[in-house]
Amino acid sequence: MSEHDDRVAVTVGEWPDDVESDEGVVVNWFVGEGVAVEDSESLCEVQIEKVSLDVYAPVAGTLTEILRGEDAEFERGETLGWITPDGMEGEDA
Amino acid sequence: MSEAESTRELTMSRAMVSAIAHEMRENDEVFYMGEDVADYGGIFDSTQGLREEFGYDRVMDVPISETAYLGAAVGAAQVGMRPIAELMFVDFFGVAMDQIYNQMAKNTYMSGGTVSVPMVLTAAVGGTYNDAAQHSQTLYGTFAHIPGLKVVVPSTAYEAKGLMHNAIRDDDPVLYMFHKRLMGIGWMPAPEGPKTPVPETDYTIPFGKADVKREGDDVTVVTLGLHVHRALEAAETLDSDGVSAEVIDLRSLVPLDTDTIVESVEKTGNLVVVDEDYRSFGVTGEVVASVADEALGALERVERVAVPDVPIPYSRPLENEIIPSTEDIVSAIERAQ
Repeated sequence: MSEHDDRVAVTVGEWPDDVESDEGVVVNWFVGEGVAVEDSESLCEVQIEKVSLDVYAPVAGTLTEILRGEDAEFERGETLGWITPDGMEGEDA
Repeated sequence: MSEAESTRELTMSRAMVSAIAHEMRENDEVFYMGEDVADYGGIFDSTQGLREEFGYDRVMDVPISETAYLGAAVGAAQVGMRPIAELMFVDFFGVAMDQIYNQMAKNTYMSGGTVSVPMVLTAAVGGTYNDAAQHSQTLYGTFAHIPGLKVVVPSTAYEAKGLMHNAIRDDDPVLYMFHKRLMGIGWMPAPEGPKTPVPETDYTIPFGKADVKREGDDVTVVTLGLHVHRALEAAETLDSDGVSAEVIDLRSLVPLDTDTIVESVEKTGNLVVVDEDYRSFGVTGEVVASVADEALGALERVERVAVPDVPIPYSRPLENEIIPSTEDIVSAIERAQ
């Protein structure tokens, strides 16, 4: 099992229907790496065309890695960061 | 809620919305209306997420009808509601001038105090992104000139939230003028400064209390909005040359905190006023006159940095030429000390 298998990807949930672009930009992370987050907590703000969206934590845990920092561009479906779910911290995978 | 969230950094637009949502939860009489404020979330993200939480009854899209909906807001305020009406670009005020100048500003006086008008008029202001003459003005002086309107201008997320809480709770009409370049939206990146830690809990910043953003001994720089950040950058640039500039963020034009300005000028002797509004009959002249009224003897040198009396050009190099830059402020400080 790879060391990443227990982690859960942070992605933009629902891509807005009326947006044609498949690209977005990260505006602001509300939490930093290593911070505990709750399920459905707002993690960051992204902008797709001129629509601003919140990206929410898919599970409770720790935001272990931010892959796309502030001002970084990303594509539809791309992973913005990783959350290690509660109970998984410190486990050898 | 995680511990980090209580002091998390927000963009200015998020901070504004945080205050509005808090007040809407606390008071059913608070509602928001304007063009593209519900489904779109405000073209400068000033209402992101409010419609989802509060629904169409309290976050209302309106047709392009500034006179009608600003008049409706005045009426709603007079019967006890607390409307927030967004004038998308401040440049559009002209068609609704009667509602703003003659009703919103004056009805408390005209009624002998029998009604109050506890509404907030929000408006996006400012240029720096090439949107031409009808979408790029600040017009601070235009509104501050008329008795009856309180005028506030946040420069950071922290101030955006505190001033908004205060504006909604105020029993008089408040014009809340937010600079587009400070909002922190993806397609128009802000400078670093406006994104600040913002407490989760509600707090107010009183009107008429300027903030000394940087202390200094040689020259006082008075400014507001976007140009607080440019003035701070200019002050940092000159610091290595041994020039110590004090930077004052006015935060509100009405009421104007003359005391803080005068106290600073009495210390430094030199005054630079920086404004993104037109030079003539505006903020720069008012601040200089106020200091002259109260502390003429303390004034040694005065510099005004403002937009020359021309409409804001569309052309990028021409716009850059007329809107005060960090370099313009550096030059003014050098001349003034």
